[in-house]
Amino acid sequence: MNLPESIRVLRWMIRDTFRQSLATKLFWVMISVTAVCTLLCLSLRVEGDLPAVTELDLPLVLPKQEAKKLPPENLKADGVRVISGEVSVGFGAMTVPLGRNREDAVRFVQVLLAGGVGDTAGVLLALLWTAGFLPSFLEPHSATVLLAKPAPRWLILLGKAFSVIVFVALQATLFVGATWLALGISTGIWTGAYWLAVPLLVLNFGIFYSVSTFLAVWTRSTVVCIFGVFLFWLFCWIMNYSHHRLVTFPGEGVASVSLPIMEVGYWLFPKPVDLGAIFYDALRAEAFQVRPIEVLKLQEAGQFYPELAVTSSLLFGIVVFALAAYEFREIDY
Amino acid sequence: MMAIAAEFNHVVKRYPTGFLGGAGIEAVCDVTLAIPQGRIFALLGPNRAGKTTLIKMLLTLTRPTQGIITRLGEPVKNRRTLARVGYMHENHAFPRYLSAVEVLRFYGGLSGLSAKWLDDRVSQLLEKVGLADRAREPIRQFSKGMLQRLGLAQALLNDPELLILDEPTEGLDIGGRQLLRTVIQERRAAGKTVILVTHALSEVEELAEELAVLVKGKVAYRGRVEELLAGASRDSGGRNLEISLRDVYERGASE
Repeated sequence: MNLPESIRVLRWMIRDTFRQSLATKLFWVMISVTAVCTLLCLSLRVEGDLPAVTELDLPLVLPKQEAKKLPPENLKADGVRVISGEVSVGFGAMTVPLGRNREDAVRFVQVLLAGGVGDTAGVLLALLWTAGFLPSFLEPHSATVLLAKPAPRWLILLGKAFSVIVFVALQATLFVGATWLALGISTGIWTGAYWLAVPLLVLNFGIFYSVSTFLAVWTRSTVVCIFGVFLFWLFCWIMNYSHHRLVTFPGEGVASVSLPIMEVGYWLFPKPVDLGAIFYDALRAEAFQVRPIEVLKLQEAGQFYPELAVTSSLLFGIVVFALAAYEFREIDY
Repeated sequence: MMAIAAEFNHVVKRYPTGFLGGAGIEAVCDVTLAIPQGRIFALLGPNRAGKTTLIKMLLTLTRPTQGIITRLGEPVKNRRTLARVGYMHENHAFPRYLSAVEVLRFYGGLSGLSAKWLDDRVSQLLEKVGLADRAREPIRQFSKGMLQRLGLAQALLNDPELLILDEPTEGLDIGGRQLLRTVIQERRAAGKTVILVTHALSEVEELAEELAVLVKGKVAYRGRVEELLAGASRDSGGRNLEISLRDVYERGASE
């Protein structure tokens, strides 16, 4: 099968997946999540300001109401800085004192959105919601006529998996784009680095979706895909974090053999913690959020390699997709 | 020399059983069979005779354990020839969220058919199978018979040289069966090959020119339909083929 024919198959798979997402309402569920987050961002108001502070020079800060209770000369003598600004959400429905400068406040919201809503809840929910796409597609009653078409099996499988990733990529772009625009409109602060969340979210999803694809080929069970990929995601987080813990705090009663095993496991499996740390760095989040001490120490020791972390995670996904395609090629229908 | 649409040469299919595979179950045992082009060929046999397995191997849905299979003169591993094959499965589940038009365009697109060809062909086929007025409805609202008609339209999309119909009358009403007869007769008139896997003896008797009877994974009879009928009792009350087949099944089972 030549390139134009392969592209044609991919195009049909993408079209089918979008129709499937519309029919299962998944498309609208994801759009609704984006709409809610966008509305929240639009309702955000940042007033007043506090100059940026560095991690090594954290000043004592007090909200305005608390500071009023103390003599001003004491505050001055102790170097206490009074929070003069505030952040309000829900068009003023909820207000919190602002203890950082305006840009940091917006970037803090962006880290919450991309790291919390997108990278953790979003990726897990996307994996959960799309877990049934492949098992139903590969079920013998659905697949026999499809597999009797001239397109090779590997292309049919990977085309379907790719189309799901394209669907998630579109949703991630809409999510990041809409919240970036809303935050920019409501606060006047436009952080270009926030867009890095799109490739990181897609990469993170794609890597774990490769495992879901393999499980779908192997078992054709949605339940196995959901639980399998969730357990694997948990395993990768633990593996990634434990590796950093072991490297940065080596003398905590751990057997000497553990470190090489952990090292192999770390380089072999996806690294969700590292992908999060890359985004954290891109948004210069150290000014307003404390990163895990293990990651911090690893970076200080010059042992954190973001390019290798991304490359090896990506490689894992490619290998698992290739294994799924090989397994699919061998299956009797 | 007559061209061959499908050829099985000492084909064996063994399905492994148990965790370690074991000796396995032999679904097809050393089948050698040639299906000539331009004929209406019926594959008959009792349940679990290996008919569907044979068809699945021809379509590369399943791999043979041993033997060589050719499709339209090429080894089956050459998937390009599948572009000249149409396949209707007895119980196929099309994506229920699509309409009839979308189903045909999707499967046609995957067969490598151009958009222009599909534009004309889809409406023409929906008209032919009697679904033109329901073309835009989601197929989850379709009855079993309507889905079978859609399956037939799907199999005819590429105007195939080789049309494989696996139990096509399942769920079809009288009108649907008549439609199927018409389609098969049209294929014959156009010089195309049809392989009919069926239990409906009346259709074999009426439509098929040649047949092979499979029993326990082996070819128990191969020949022309009228030759098989000639061997049956004359006063059988219109059940000639049934009586002839019973003999063939009994002989095949005792071997």
